[in-house]
Amino acid sequence: MGDTLTKVKITTACEGKPDARSLKTYVANGGYTALKKAFSMQPGQIIDEVKASGLRGRGGAGFPTGMKWGFVPKDDKGPKYLICNNDESEPGTFKDRYIAECNPHMIIEGMIIAGFAIGANKGYIYTRYDFFDEIKWLETAIREAYEAGFLGDNIQGSGFKFHLDHYAGAGAYICGEETGLLSSLEGKKGQPKVKPPFPAISGYLRRPTIVNNTETLASVPWIINNGAAAYKKMGTEKSPGTKLFCLSGRVKRPGVYELPLGYPIEKLINEDAGGMLPGYSIKACIPGGSSAPILTADELKGLTLDYEAIAAKGSMLGSGAIMIIDNTMSMVELLKVTVDFYHHESCGQCTPCREGTGWLANIMTGIAAGQGKKDDLQRMFEISRNMEGKTICALSDAAAMPTKSIVTKFGAEIAEFIERGKRA
Amino acid sequence: MHDHPHSTTNEPAPAFTPALRDKIKGFLTRYETKRSAIIPALHAIQDELGWIADDHVEILDKEFGLHRVQVREALTFYSAFRQKKPRKHTIQFCNNIICCMVGANEVIDRIKGHNKKYESQGVEPPFSVEGVPCLCVCDGAPAMLVNKDRHLKVTMENVDSILEKYASLPR
Repeated sequence: MGDTLTKVKITTACEGKPDARSLKTYVANGGYTALKKAFSMQPGQIIDEVKASGLRGRGGAGFPTGMKWGFVPKDDKGPKYLICNNDESEPGTFKDRYIAECNPHMIIEGMIIAGFAIGANKGYIYTRYDFFDEIKWLETAIREAYEAGFLGDNIQGSGFKFHLDHYAGAGAYICGEETGLLSSLEGKKGQPKVKPPFPAISGYLRRPTIVNNTETLASVPWIINNGAAAYKKMGTEKSPGTKLFCLSGRVKRPGVYELPLGYPIEKLINEDAGGMLPGYSIKACIPGGSSAPILTADELKGLTLDYEAIAAKGSMLGSGAIMIIDNTMSMVELLKVTVDFYHHESCGQCTPCREGTGWLANIMTGIAAGQGKKDDLQRMFEISRNMEGKTICALSDAAAMPTKSIVTKFGAEIAEFIERGKRA
Repeated sequence: MHDHPHSTTNEPAPAFTPALRDKIKGFLTRYETKRSAIIPALHAIQDELGWIADDHVEILDKEFGLHRVQVREALTFYSAFRQKKPRKHTIQFCNNIICCMVGANEVIDRIKGHNKKYESQGVEPPFSVEGVPCLCVCDGAPAMLVNKDRHLKVTMENVDSILEKYASLPR
């Protein structure tokens, strides 16, 4: 068990520094030294170090990063690709935007190291198109890295070649799913692909490809510089290291907080964020982006922010988006907004998702308009149950999970709304 | 949610400039496959001309060798792309969980009210308004994009002055 209370700045290291985004500031603060160290290691050693650090994918799934890298066939002569999933779109999440804002070079350094480890010579950063400023900053950082010889044919005389480009999405939540992202990068509809084969074997253009979240990649330089053991000293045994948490809602200080995993959620809300604004109280909390099952205010008591503790409460840490739902929010509105979103974003290729999200949205539209029926709650539960585990990707589950949890935990409020035809 | 004007079938497609042509040409060889140029090309057209017309799809096919079926696939799948001429300014207002909780819908209605004011005077309203999924700036909710500018904490108190500023600006 590591330290779950002491704050260490890893992915937010340049936060608040003047001209934080520049190569100059990054290098002045030890930037690109991990890359030098990585070049003195064997690629296999780097993968082992990341495996030993226990770093888990920060996009939402929490899959062990080193293990993912290890799936890339070593004897493959290439091309292999490394993709940074910067398509931040899980509702409630705004951490990758923050890394691009204060530390774009850390993403690039992490990508070069990852590319060296898996033998990829080409990388892309895929960002949602409406991060207009962030895209400019990332493109500037890529240009600076090329000019300084950190990107190119023979990086710092190492003989390693790595080229990096940026690609903007076009407004599709589904492109945050790694195979949907790859479809999009190929210029197609962002529809996810059947797995297996996983991208590590057959990804971008059917070549071995690793897709990692921005925050995951930005964590890599620190791990290489300080070692896996130092990383494991932070966080819990199964969830080591730090994580960015995106706290939103009517707290006094919403924002991005870098905290060791296992940090108490009540401490974050009440101390770091200063508690709720006057006149508001916590009604519920969505702890990992809108796909995560909802928790009641009671369930937050004693809860720690790590993958295992939140899973034990029947929800998930996900992307680290902690949405505080306060007493003003109607659960009918919350559920309607949620299912409307998934209905809008379903890519349409799997029937349970395409139809299921539509049915959920129709029922919620009816309830919100005062035309709900008594058995709507039961019907929503049944539809959700039939949407889970039956599709190519997890979007269907992502709609079903919050629906089931809201219907279960706040069923009485919704039933009362149906009965009265309006909010009580 | 959508408050777009519907273009007439006679709406002329704005012509490609030489700079736009050069930009698209650059995309054709920039990525691993030519097809990957489709999304950047559509972004470039919309950035410069405001929307993507049928004629533009034909130009991408005939002049640049980007197959019209593949172009149309991307054009219709991704919600970023507009197939109709928008009004002078485009407003994308977040209508997801946190923004809704802190009053986004009320502000969106107010923006639409602004448009109605222009309509009642027989003037083309300056704003295309659409509700969009989470803009990922929930710490600044309610949030909106006006064209490419991000506005945070947009409330009933400050929305009018923001809109007035844009209404007087050219596209």
